[in-house]
Order: sequence, then structure tokens, then C-alpha cells
Amino acid sequence: MAEVILENICKTYGNNFRAIDRLNLSVEDGEFLILVGPSGCGKSTALRMIAGLEDVTSGSLRIGGTDVVDMPPKDRDIAMVFQSYALYPHMTVFENIAFSMRLAGKPKAERKKRVDEIAKTLQLTSLLDSKPANLSGGQRQRVAMGRAMVREPAAFLMDEPLSNLDAKLRVQMRAEITSLQKQLGVTTIYVTHDQTEAMTMGDRVAVLKGGVLQQVDTPKRLYESPVNAFVAGFIGSPSMNLFEGTLTGNELTAGAFAIRLQDAAFMRRPGLRSYAGRKIVFGIRPEHLYDSSLESGRKYQTLPARVTSIEELGSEHIVHLKIDAVRVDSGDPDAVEDFGLASNAVAKFEPESAVRSGSEIRLALDDTKLHFFDPETHLAI
Amino acid sequence: MTRQKRSRHGLKRAVAPYLYLSPSLLIIGLLMLLPMVTVISYSFQNSAVLRLDSSFAGLKHYQAIFADPVFWASLWHTLYFTCMSVVFHMTIGMIFALMLNSDRINPTLRNILRVLYILPWLFTAVIIAVIWRLLLEPNGVVNSILMQLGLIGSKIEWFSSPETALHAVTFANIWAGYPLFMVSLLAGLQGIPKDFYEAADIDGAKAYQKLIFITIPQLMPIIISISLLDFIWTMQVFPLIWITTGGGPIYSTEVLSTYTYKLAFSSYNLSQASASAVVILLISLGLTLLYIRYQKAR
Repeated sequence: MAEVILENICKTYGNNFRAIDRLNLSVEDGEFLILVGPSGCGKSTALRMIAGLEDVTSGSLRIGGTDVVDMPPKDRDIAMVFQSYALYPHMTVFENIAFSMRLAGKPKAERKKRVDEIAKTLQLTSLLDSKPANLSGGQRQRVAMGRAMVREPAAFLMDEPLSNLDAKLRVQMRAEITSLQKQLGVTTIYVTHDQTEAMTMGDRVAVLKGGVLQQVDTPKRLYESPVNAFVAGFIGSPSMNLFEGTLTGNELTAGAFAIRLQDAAFMRRPGLRSYAGRKIVFGIRPEHLYDSSLESGRKYQTLPARVTSIEELGSEHIVHLKIDAVRVDSGDPDAVEDFGLASNAVAKFEPESAVRSGSEIRLALDDTKLHFFDPETHLAI
Repeated sequence: MTRQKRSRHGLKRAVAPYLYLSPSLLIIGLLMLLPMVTVISYSFQNSAVLRLDSSFAGLKHYQAIFADPVFWASLWHTLYFTCMSVVFHMTIGMIFALMLNSDRINPTLRNILRVLYILPWLFTAVIIAVIWRLLLEPNGVVNSILMQLGLIGSKIEWFSSPETALHAVTFANIWAGYPLFMVSLLAGLQGIPKDFYEAADIDGAKAYQKLIFITIPQLMPIIISISLLDFIWTMQVFPLIWITTGGGPIYSTEVLSTYTYKLAFSSYNLSQASASAVVILLISLGLTLLYIRYQKAR
């Protein structure tokens, strides 16, 4: 058990490309920390630096109080689960799990005892003699976990360990890994690009973009109080709707409509008043937009919108809309929402909603759930 | 459809594939099967080819070659020549492939080495034989270097002395043949996922442990199939030995192929030569079956 502390970690490649820029992160003993961000944001590089598979250009890195920057991977007391699992195809499950013990010259009886214990925890006992090729994706994943557990490391490092699994299995393994981590209490750093994994698995989530740490916080705080427009857009699915507007008194004007803001909104954000008469970026999550013809949407103010398309998911409707406002890009290169000319907003309606594609509707909006960002810096106000 | 029509249709369907295959089957039959059968039949005839009215000889020719000490010597030489060649082809090929695949060697140097290492492959057997005859001449470069280094006191007649001739031809063949292993193993090395080595690094594997536990097991299918093929090919090597030593001196480099050739074209004993050829065929067949079984098992 140990805490992992990164101080001003930088990684610059030969072509002067800066993959990680002054990363400061402190992971507490036993904590489950998620590193998340769009592809190419440096999250895997950061993890590989902690593992010792990439050199650290500058900065200090301590695991359990020891500076490990110049240590080879094996001396760092960490174990890693790879995206590909990296199971040796010519070895059985037993041999794969026992590999590190064999290298360390542990006697056979001790190896067997330890592997049997782990196999029991991971429900792999009946598979110990199988080769990885004969296992399902979920079983391979568990063997990879077993190989990490056998070393009883100070920290687990996991590099997108679920991305090779199908959607259903991923949900199951998500829960399994989370409960296993709680049970073992080992400090864990987990890299993913999947924000559902980020939101559901970790104690805290660190959001990276372009090698720069944006925010480290609990999933709830990230969702409720993103520090900037990028985090706001990245966390949550579908993404937060971000628009340009102008603040005049208590009124937020965008295109042809205006939203009245309550005094409470200004009390909570002392800086907001200073934007009076100026441009501002405002955001609202799809789940805080309502169908005004339903009970849930009656109490809110409305604005005109045209429905461009609807995805009926059974439990909810994802409604793509066109409203008279200029959309702002959050800066997430992986954003899945395709905003062409047709639509510029997304809302989550209850399945009872009867809106039809192509119809003009009144869109209800919970103004207490609005987020405000500076138009230049994109920082939260 | 009437039953008759249907059966005619069925017959057509059954025959069609063989019709498509018939040109290649015919060519294989003419070029491979026919000569083989002819040689086998010669081995059971008296004065095969030489006389039109040759009579059945039974196992006489086989008994004759099995009673010939030169046959046994050439069988032993063939085995030595082949086993040493395959083992060293693999060892050298593996070392060079590991070098060419290593990040520790400067990329420019690696590209130069890649070209140098593959050079022996560009030469035909005749040229290789000539090169080594010149190099290993009593007054050649090799002797001169070894004497300069003080490793030998007097000039050695590598190809002309019965003690060294077999080792010398084997050496020349090793030099000529390792690039196949090198290229195949290099391709295999490049196919091993990097993750395997990174996982092993984290688990604390040393370089030799990574070689034993990851690299070699991962290359095993290539090692086995190329070794078997090399064994089959090397057993039949003729031009290299024929041009360097001709099987001599005093049969010291006689291998099955030169032994057979001499029986046929020096002694004109084509029946015994056929018997000897059949023995080579049987050994090769055994190895080929082993290779096919291995390929099927994969």
C-alpha cells in the first residue's frame, strides 16, 4: 500500500512534442483514481511513466515515499494491467499468473498456494490449466488482473483494461474491478477514455487535455462544478450544450430568446455581475432540458426550438434540436455529437414525450442548472 | 427434374473439380511421379538403362550398397553436414536477427548490417563454392590471417586434408545458409507484441529470462518449421560439395548425393545409383511427413 505523488512531471519527446506538461497529482493510499481524457491527451503516457516504461523528462515521482524516477519498472513495486492483457499465449493461466513469482525464484509450493488463492478470488480455479486462447474476453481480463494481484504491489496501474470487451461484459467487469479494488484496498490508477467508467469506478477523476491536467475531483463534483468548458463538455453523456450569450441585467440573451436568471444565480457566482453587457458562454446539460408539454417541464421557462431528430432509447429520448443561438465548441476532439447545420443542441426527454421530428416546440429549461464560462479563457465563473 | 437428368447433373458436379485440376495433375505426374517411379523400378533391375532386356534383381542392389563402407561413411557425413548446418544456421540466424531487432543498435548501423548479413543469400551455390575454395586455399586469406594471429603454425590444406575437409565444406554451407533463418526469425521477432516485454519488465524479468520465457517460445513455430525444411534441403546439397571437394579426399566429404552421382556417372552402375537414390528419397520422405504432421498439428 502506498500513495503515488507526481510533482511537475513533464514528458517531452525527441521532436519537442510535449506529451505531459507539469502534471501534479497525488493519489492517496488505497484510492482509486481515474485518469481520463480524449485520445492523445497524454493519459497513457502518464501511466507508463509511473510504471517506468517511459522516461520522465523532468519532475519528481514518488511511490510510497520513494523517489522512483530513476528506478527500473520492477523495483517500483507496481503491477500493470495492459489494454491487450499481454497474456503469454504459450503459458497456461497458472503459469501466466505465477510468472513473476517464478522469475523471483519462489518455490513451487508457494507459487501454487498463492495462485490458488487468487484464482479462487477471481473464479479462475477451473481454468488454471487452460491457455489464454481458449478463454473468453472476460476470463482473459480476470487472468490479467490475477497476474497483477499475485505480486501484492503497492499500486495497480490499469491501461484501458476494459476497452477490448463488449458493452455488456464491460458493465459487469466494471463492477467486478471496483469491488475487487475496495476489497484489496490497493492504490489504483486507472486510465480510460470512457467517461462512464470514469464516473462510476473511481473515488476521484483526473481530467487531462493536451498533456495538461484540467481538474481532479470526485465524479459528482466534476459533473456539478466543472472548472472549465472542456471538463463541462467532456464529462456527461450526451455532452453539455454550450452557447454564446450576452448578459444584460438579470437577462441572458442568445439569438432571438432570453433567459431570466434568478438572484440566487448571481449570489452563488460573485463574478457573474462583471460580465453585464458582455459576451458570456453558458451551458446546460441535456438532462436539464425538458419537454414543456409534460408535467416535469411545466414549472420552467421556455424557449423556441425545432426538433431535428429523435433517438428513442426506451428509458429516454435523446432529442436533437435547433435553437437560435451560436454553439460553442468545448474543445473535446472526440466529441461524438455531430453538430452539422441541422442541430445545435441535445436534450434528454422522458419516454412519454410526444415530440416529433421536424416539429416546432417550446423547450423548457431549468435555469438553476446553468453553467457560465468566460468566453476567452473558457474558465468557469 | 427427372431422376436420370439429376444423376447426370450429379456426375458432372463430381467430375468438374478433377477436370479443373487435371492440367496440373498431369504435369506433376509427368515431371515428378514418373521419374520417381522409374528410379524405384531401376533399383530393382539388373543393368538398368544400359540394357533393354534388364532382368529383375530383387533387393540385390540394396544389399550391395548397404555392404559398401563408403555408403555408410557418406550417410554419416550427410548427417554430420546436415545437423551442424541446421544447428548453426539457427544459432547464427537467431543472433543476427536479435541484433537487427534490437533498439540498442544505432538504426543506420542496423541497416548496414541488414544488408551485410543477407549477402550470402545473393550468391548461387557455385559462386559460394568458388569463393570458399579461394579463401581456404593453402595460400589463401584464411590461412594467412590465422597465421598472422598465431593461431596456426603452418598452412592448413582445408579442403585437401581428410581431417579438415568435411568441417570446411560444412562451414561454407553454414555461411551460405543462415540468412533464411535470420530473415524468418526477424519477421517473427517483429511480430511479438511489445506488451509482452513490458509486462515482463514490470514482473522483473532479466534479458536472458525474456529470451527464454517469451522470445523463444513465441518463435518456436518458425524455428521448428524452418529447421525441418532446412534439414530436408541440406540433406540433398550437391553443387557446393561437388565443386569444393568432389567428395574427397579419400571419401572424407562423400555425402549421399555425391555418392549416388558417382555410382551413376562415374561407375555407370545406374541400378545401384537408383537404390541409393531411393534411400535418400525415403529419408527425405520421413522428414517431410514429420513436417506435414507438424504443420497440421498447428
